[in-house]
Amino acid sequence: MTRPPNAPRSVLVVAALAVAFLTLPVLALLQRAPWSGLVDLLRRREVVEALGVSLLVSLTAAGIVLVLGTPLAWVLARVDVPFRRLVRALVVLPMVLPPVVGGTALLFALGRRGLVGQWLERWFDVTLPFTTAGAVVAATFVALPFYVVTVEGALRTTGDHLEQLASTLGASPLTVLRRVTLPRLVPAMGAGLALAWARALGEFGATITFAGNLPGRTRTLPLATFQALESDPEAAIALSLVLLAVSLAVLLPTRDRWLPTR
Amino acid sequence: MWTHPPAGATLLAVLAWLGAAGCTEAPGDAALTVFVASSLTDVTADLADEWTLTSGVGVELVAGGSNHLAAQVRDGAPADVFLTADAELLDDLQHRLLANPVTDQMTDRVAGRVPTVIHNLAINHLVVARPTAGPERRPADLRDPSVVLVACATGVPCGDAAAARFGDLPVDSFEPSARAVVARLALDEADLGIVYATDVAAHTGLAPAWPQEPTCPCVTYAAASLSPSGNPFVAFLTSDRARQILTEHGFVAGPPR
Repeated sequence: MTRPPNAPRSVLVVAALAVAFLTLPVLALLQRAPWSGLVDLLRRREVVEALGVSLLVSLTAAGIVLVLGTPLAWVLARVDVPFRRLVRALVVLPMVLPPVVGGTALLFALGRRGLVGQWLERWFDVTLPFTTAGAVVAATFVALPFYVVTVEGALRTTGDHLEQLASTLGASPLTVLRRVTLPRLVPAMGAGLALAWARALGEFGATITFAGNLPGRTRTLPLATFQALESDPEAAIALSLVLLAVSLAVLLPTRDRWLPTR
Repeated sequence: MWTHPPAGATLLAVLAWLGAAGCTEAPGDAALTVFVASSLTDVTADLADEWTLTSGVGVELVAGGSNHLAAQVRDGAPADVFLTADAELLDDLQHRLLANPVTDQMTDRVAGRVPTVIHNLAINHLVVARPTAGPERRPADLRDPSVVLVACATGVPCGDAAAARFGDLPVDSFEPSARAVVARLALDEADLGIVYATDVAAHTGLAPAWPQEPTCPCVTYAAASLSPSGNPFVAFLTSDRARQILTEHGFVAGPPR
């Protein structure tokens, strides 16, 4: 490791402490992992099932986040909407809301007797609780703010002078968005998407409260882990290892490419 | 420059509020910490009040799933008394029980008999319940896949008892606690739920799905004192007054001793 002249030793020490703080619990988990029986544990039906549900739910949620979040981030960064601060605060609320409360709120809104949910059932015969779609809704609810905050921040730091330049050269607003704004935004969108996807993958409280817990339908890896803690702690650790491995597999290769280094 | 006075002022206000709250709060004089299975929360609050009246000893309740509480005790949580819906968990805690010899003073206090473990404190039966707002049901609905049915997960006492009594059912969601099942029914998100008889008695939002006789397999609660200061409270749990409170809440109190 070479130390650049602008990296004071004290800063490096604190950074190292932070890394230790974040990795120590994970290392402790690895140390308690039942390595010898791991293969058998991981081939169990409930583990495979939970992994399948988790991937389906988190990837679908990430897709919805991309579609809903990109326009929202752009509007928050570029359009002078009234009460923008209030809107932004409302948008990030799910980040601070305890997920269990978020799940209960979702029930009040989209449950069978919820504000909107009762009409969904009456008109379209759609009920979200206890379905995989419900798990996707819960995951999207908690993950969307992470994407919006990341992309909006990137839009603000890059500024809009290139956009204005393109406009004065005669490009239509949609063309500016498509040919100037979005291409430069791809790295931030990738970073925000990775964050949102990771949040969706680890989502627990809103899912179990809103969507329930049924193997093969709504029982994601975090729910299966919680369930296993009751009866089989070794299986719970094995399940967390799957969660760690899946998220590392996605986050490791994407990080350098998506997070602008300089 | 001081660009965000509102944020700073808000923070100051919150800190002032916390400070004030800290000053008005009574000093921590809860002498007894009782870990209690969530299905016993309400009745234990009444039992604790009664105990505080007679003994002058304050009680702090920590409610949760029996398994989680047992794990916390195993990891050294400062529980004086443990009330569990799963008596087998007490075997796990043998070391804490063995480290709690009954002192002479305690023995005097309850006339020569101080149980540190009560294996059959009370029984709670399972009931198939429906939301009061929903239609009445028939026993056949329990196995109807189009009926939304919720139950406790296996590994949780109410789930194990339900599995023992009903076998495989087309459950739509395995909830982490009986309280969670109650919430599903109270919100009318499920058509049927397997809950405790005490839950049906305590909530107006729930009703028996059809007339049901108390039947076992059911849940048997156990109590254990984990420290010398917990012994008198556990002894109190077998008193007539405690049995009366248990019965009022819909439990079947264990045999008198």
